[in-house]
Amino acid sequence: MHLQVKSNHELLIEQQKKKWKRKRLDAWLLLLPTLGIFLFFFVLPLIVLLVMSFKTFDASLGVGDQWTLQNYLKFLSDPFYLEVLWRTIKIALVTTVITIVISFPVAYQISRASGRLKNYLTLLVLSPLLISMVIRNYGWVIVLSNNGVINKTLMDLGIISQPLTLLYSEFSVILGLAHVLFPYMVLSIMGSIERIDPSVIKASQSLGANPLRTFFSVFFPLTLPGIFAGSVMVFSLGVSSFVTPAILGGPQVKVMAYLTYEQVATMANWPYGAAIGFLLVLIATITIVIYSRILNRVEKGVAIQ
Amino acid sequence: MSSYLKLENIRKSFNKTEVVKDLSLEIKEGEIMSFLGPSGCGKSTTLNMIAGFLEVDRGKIEVAGESVHLLPPHKREMGMVFQNYALFPHMTVFDNVAYGLKIRKVKKQEIRKRVLEGLEMVRLAGYENRYPKELSGGQQQRVSLARALVIKPKLLLLDEPLSNLDAKLRQEMREEIVDIQKKVGITTIFVTHDQEEALAISDRIAVMYDGRIEQVDIPSAIYNNPKTDFVSEFIGEVNQVKGKVLEVYKDNKSKILFFGKELIIPSDSSQDTMLNFFIRPEKVQIVNFRNTEEDTGIEMKVDKKMFLGARTRYFLKVNGEQLIADISNTVLNPSQIQEESTVIVHLNPDDLLLRKGR
Repeated sequence: MHLQVKSNHELLIEQQKKKWKRKRLDAWLLLLPTLGIFLFFFVLPLIVLLVMSFKTFDASLGVGDQWTLQNYLKFLSDPFYLEVLWRTIKIALVTTVITIVISFPVAYQISRASGRLKNYLTLLVLSPLLISMVIRNYGWVIVLSNNGVINKTLMDLGIISQPLTLLYSEFSVILGLAHVLFPYMVLSIMGSIERIDPSVIKASQSLGANPLRTFFSVFFPLTLPGIFAGSVMVFSLGVSSFVTPAILGGPQVKVMAYLTYEQVATMANWPYGAAIGFLLVLIATITIVIYSRILNRVEKGVAIQ
Repeated sequence: MSSYLKLENIRKSFNKTEVVKDLSLEIKEGEIMSFLGPSGCGKSTTLNMIAGFLEVDRGKIEVAGESVHLLPPHKREMGMVFQNYALFPHMTVFDNVAYGLKIRKVKKQEIRKRVLEGLEMVRLAGYENRYPKELSGGQQQRVSLARALVIKPKLLLLDEPLSNLDAKLRQEMREEIVDIQKKVGITTIFVTHDQEEALAISDRIAVMYDGRIEQVDIPSAIYNNPKTDFVSEFIGEVNQVKGKVLEVYKDNKSKILFFGKELIIPSDSSQDTMLNFFIRPEKVQIVNFRNTEEDTGIEMKVDKKMFLGARTRYFLKVNGEQLIADISNTVLNPSQIQEESTVIVHLNPDDLLLRKGR
């Protein structure tokens, strides 16, 4: 009798285990659609791109059938291309820094707001993302062009006699990028600010730290994870942006994405375009790796409290 | 001893709701005073006003003869320990404890010495390089205590410091807090909603309710001589019983009818009024037989009994009224009393607390 009971019990455990196994399998099954899309539309093209970038250029077919390193060597030995590379990185970096500076106070104020006001403010911050890229950028063209709003006003007021070159410069590209990318920064900084326990701020004050000291010793360090996360997003979106530099920078301010487009669409040099594109992917990846390294160090104490 | 912390007619409102209503209190130097009350009674608000995180609407706060209620929190020199520990998550234990000293520009060597002493005091020597999230809740709270004490504050403010700990750890920690408090001799305010905690650790307790202080006294007086209905009901458990005044004597004594028995108690109520009393379950005495014919005990039926470890709770009934008695099992073996049996109940008139009503 006793044995019978025991084996029944074991049977039950066995059943339970099977159930768990099935559950784990279910979880994987649920992942399948995403995984499929990811593999088919992202990993596969990337592999094709990589393979293509090592092929020769064929004037009639686009992609030749010989293997070569020429595409990369051409890029890395030509000062013109290197300048484009450097410009792209510079624009993305400056954009990142600017978004940090303008987003921090915004994120701080929104996190302090409550209820409905907070929702409205968040929506307002997200608004640049709600407008089509092209429309938003042509908006900037109207503002920045030689007979645009700014130049006209300044000339009418007699402050300047010649229009300032605002459009088709690195400045206009950075401005446009900062405009569209700053919501990402605001949201991720907000995330970290909201995770800060208010009593930690009180603790700092009660230990004798004035508000400024409290900000720099406690508040700001605790927002670093958000700043880093936002930076990764803004930088990688900035470095690979195409529409904004194309409209606000034009051919004068060439960036990597534009260069790739030019090679593929205008020159029909697919292998070279692939090589440039792949270098761009590489830069973004390296940046993310470096960021996550730093983040790990910064987060040592922070993370989820 | 003269008072060290003085609260004078403090008031505080949020959105037109008065949370602290004309509160005055004096705390002596070296004393540990608890603010005890249910949530929303204004105890935390009062503490936050003392710490400077909230401004007083009206009234004065003095520490050691100096008024501090206009100072910002960082100039008040108060050590505060929070319910959720509030350690700086991005700093090591050492840096957490050293934080207040660094701000005071104490020399590096001196900081090191004092931090290590502080950690030693809370039995956390050797944990300097850990991060807060690598510590248990109890350890985090001890770091927080060390951090508050190393700056040698004028007051130690503890805001429900034990609420997030499990029951056993809570008891250990409260003993530790008292030990450390006595050793350092620092004037301490301990905010809690847990009466047992307050009774165990305080020199005096301020029982608060609805923004007012109901009673300030030593723990035994709070328990045995509650001054208001709220205090009697909030601290410990009480039976509520009714009695009718039968006859009033000259010397402020009355004969009252109580569970069908006559008792003489001090009272100045007029004849025929109904009086409400409180009596604590452990003050009710039970025997299972009458000693003598003149025994004045009240006969009651045992409705239910409940074994509670060291004691047994008896639910007694008479005339439809219920009375709860908690009897130590060493005084009366619960096996001697059966449910549905009749027992003799003795009530000492001194243990009857007259309900004042509001």
